[in-house]
Amino acid sequence: MKKVNIKVNGRPGQVVVDQNQALIDTLRGVYSLTSVKQSCDRKGQCGACTVIVNGKAVRSCLVKIGDMEGADIITVEGLGTPDNPHLIQEAFVLSGAVQCGFCTPGMIMAAKALLDTNQDPADEEIKKALRRNLCRCTGYVKIIEAVKLAGRFLRGEITPDRIRPRPDDPKMGVSHPRPSAMLKACGTAEFSADIKIPGALELAVVRSPYAHAIIRSIDASKAKNMPGVAGVMTAADIKGTNRLKYIIADRPIICREKVQLLGDAVAVVAANTREEALAAVEAVHVEYEPLPVLASPMDAMAPDAPRIHPDRPNFCYKQPIIKGDADKAFAESAAVVESAFKTQINHQAPLEPEASVAFLEGEGEDTVLVVMGRSINIHLHMATLQEALDWENIRYEEAFSGGQFGIKLEIITEGIAAAAALHFKRAVRYIPSLEESMLITSKRHPFDMNIKLGADSNGKLTALALDAVVDNGAYNSIGNVIINRGLHMLSSSYYIPNIKAMAKLFYTNNPWGSAARGAGPPQMHYALECAMNMLAAKLNIDPLEFRLRNSLKPGQTKATGHVVQEWPFPELCEAVRPAYERARSKAAARQNGIVRRGVGLGATAFGIAMPGDKALSAVELGPDDCVTVYAAAADPGEGNDSMLSQLAAHVLDLPLTKVRVVTRDTDRTTAAGPASGSRITYMVGGATVDALQKLKSAMDQAGSKTYEALKKAEKPTRFLGEKRAVEVAPLDPETGQGPSFESQVHAVQVAEVEVNTQTGEVKVLKMTTAADAGPVINPQNLTGQIEGGADMGVGYALREEYIAGRTKDWVTFKFPTMKTAFDMETIIRETPRSRGTLGATGVGEMAMTSTAPAVINAINDACGIWIRELPATPDKIKAALASGK
Amino acid sequence: MMAEHEREKLLADLGRQARIVAGREIYFDWEGFFWDPNDWNEEIARILALESGLEDLTEAHWKVLRFFREYYFYHGRAPMNRHLKEGVLMSLGAIESLFPGGIRLGARRLAGLPNPRSCF
Repeated sequence: MKKVNIKVNGRPGQVVVDQNQALIDTLRGVYSLTSVKQSCDRKGQCGACTVIVNGKAVRSCLVKIGDMEGADIITVEGLGTPDNPHLIQEAFVLSGAVQCGFCTPGMIMAAKALLDTNQDPADEEIKKALRRNLCRCTGYVKIIEAVKLAGRFLRGEITPDRIRPRPDDPKMGVSHPRPSAMLKACGTAEFSADIKIPGALELAVVRSPYAHAIIRSIDASKAKNMPGVAGVMTAADIKGTNRLKYIIADRPIICREKVQLLGDAVAVVAANTREEALAAVEAVHVEYEPLPVLASPMDAMAPDAPRIHPDRPNFCYKQPIIKGDADKAFAESAAVVESAFKTQINHQAPLEPEASVAFLEGEGEDTVLVVMGRSINIHLHMATLQEALDWENIRYEEAFSGGQFGIKLEIITEGIAAAAALHFKRAVRYIPSLEESMLITSKRHPFDMNIKLGADSNGKLTALALDAVVDNGAYNSIGNVIINRGLHMLSSSYYIPNIKAMAKLFYTNNPWGSAARGAGPPQMHYALECAMNMLAAKLNIDPLEFRLRNSLKPGQTKATGHVVQEWPFPELCEAVRPAYERARSKAAARQNGIVRRGVGLGATAFGIAMPGDKALSAVELGPDDCVTVYAAAADPGEGNDSMLSQLAAHVLDLPLTKVRVVTRDTDRTTAAGPASGSRITYMVGGATVDALQKLKSAMDQAGSKTYEALKKAEKPTRFLGEKRAVEVAPLDPETGQGPSFESQVHAVQVAEVEVNTQTGEVKVLKMTTAADAGPVINPQNLTGQIEGGADMGVGYALREEYIAGRTKDWVTFKFPTMKTAFDMETIIRETPRSRGTLGATGVGEMAMTSTAPAVINAINDACGIWIRELPATPDKIKAALASGK
Repeated sequence: MMAEHEREKLLADLGRQARIVAGREIYFDWEGFFWDPNDWNEEIARILALESGLEDLTEAHWKVLRFFREYYFYHGRAPMNRHLKEGVLMSLGAIESLFPGGIRLGARRLAGLPNPRSCF
């Protein structure tokens, strides 16, 4: 221990601590400064813990408190408060640079250190100063804009008041600051690991070192007697089904007889401190009998392969699409291309690691199990936990969420925390490391595809054939839905009259696949959009012209036979044409030499509102004449809070100061479905508008917008709104024909890349995205999704891959950085959708769906090679160049 | 390869099934919950109760069923047991024993509320 004199946020004092403790842990643990975020297991990889020490930006996980004698330390809490923010905090909010907000405090502190010495930094200086700070949401575009805006504020060129929209400004099409943005910028937004529960037990989990094994025995006797240990629980201690079921009840909270996956939970230790819990985990002795590991669908479909789940075969789902006569059409086609494409297992990579807390509230039969985590479907997760734990009274609260990108469609740490709170009858926290979080979470499914695409001599598509084998990993989760989503969007933006496709899903002992931004379509779009370019080249037609010529038209059918009523894709192609031609012109001069430049296109018609989708939302006028929207619309960074509040203020013609949103608590919200599938604006926003219009009608009848007047007129003050997809039927199991998504967001992307033919390095110079999601509610939210999606798509195309046991942190994952960031341009069209939310549809996943093929097509344009297996690493580029393919 | 009956069950799990009840075509989900709570009426509830072994719906039954519906259409979600208990002024044990299948699979289903897991 050591006494250290430090000044923290202007307050001098002293602290007596273990001198080897990292500064982050002193700031969080002793000073409760929870803006200082932990993501990278204290390896200095993410910058989320950046603070200013003696005027310099420092990653507080890399320095020891013992070395801080006399230091002057500033965290984001020391800059400003939501009521009195610092100009840099204002700039981040007003630039739309705050999405999930987990990286924001560290970004702001790095920006402050820069701006303290240089109030007018250039882009490259900003990139250099913030190069150690990671962000998964924004693609860094708005963060750079925020630093530049902060410089203008600090130089006195402009004030925040001059550019901040007023609460009574128009609500549609205006970037009103998100209600939660300033809380995040000031570090007062509490993420799961920030929740204060003094005396809570800390959990650590005994996890399987085998990917497939029988659990012969568990001996926890030594662990139970170790210092600080409250107990050890196993599957036998769970009273409910112990199954977290979406479609198939195959995933246990804690494994009982068998493990199916590297890292499966086998036992849970609860102790007074995390260190004590982790030490006790090492003392739990588990005897395993290893089983053959099924490492691929090929292994899983072998006749003698053991069943991963004894009660069901490894071949767990299939869905064909049969439309027209593809064989005949291919035979009559003027040109046909055929190729194989393969995608990788990938991590969704939210910056915030897994974290959950759980505790019991109340007494007797009314005792409520409260679970706090970052679910994006709180009502379903509550119902799932009710069954899994056999405990009826549960309240799920969504903490602020450090990104999710599909990963939190799943219950992960919440199941263990909730089970432990019930078993130990104590408040518990389960805050695993990043490495453990990566090991235990769902992943993006890898697809292995063969595609064949034909066209006639006029360049019109005639037929498509696709065979996809999908590795589901050890648990089904929503694997069937992933396949169906891919098939629903199989023909993407185009009219293809004849289709023959088959997608098959297999259990393996690999990481289990679930939702991941786009969830199925990004994989199939990679194959389709590359095949489109291959076929365009064979026909000697420009790729943009080829896409335009084959656009689906209203009255024509998608892959499932679903007739579309609106399809503003051709207009989007025209909108992107000037940027595309500029890019082509620039690249033309650089197609020889070592570094070659190329341009690639990718397009998507991303479906929203699957048949059967439904959502509820409630609105209520309170005695203070403020309107509150109650809907479980999780907001892990997209800006759903501002979408709902702007809709309410617009429909009721109220200032934004008269609107509140409640979205994160099962006891207060409607069951609105998951914040996935890009559905929140379309479905939950639509249900909210339905409720708002009912309230508006009551206000009109009462002749006033006040609570008092509605009461006097004997009108209700609360209304329930609903939105349902018109269609409900599933795809025909034999033909794959049937109704499809109700709405589409359209996009065309232009990727401009440089390929170094000696090193194999690919540098993305610019992504231009033309998008049509209907009338724009909040422009910054829209462009923020597109920029973040494109950045994620480029990572998927070029770098990222999850390999169980080897991908353990942000460096091995190859997380996108300021260094890999690129220029972005967004072109917006606003075609109203007939059943849209005030004409609007969703946007969250579309941008990354067409990005990877746009990049791969650009690489082909630059140097003539096809990368048929993602990611397009330098080694693969060099190998393809060497083989001349 | 998956057995055909397993596949059929899986497909049924994801969809809805129509039945004629009290002369009306009503859609139910894979566990017999109403697809659309607006399809419910008291006559349908009586027939479904009979099917579940309840000869007669007493005033106590109706009190529970009406509370479920009022709560759902006000809040947009089903009540927790503690809210139900307070709302109908009965013990949980008493409510459980009123309905075959208990509160969750009995009363909630008879009241026409959607499946707790329907927000998938």
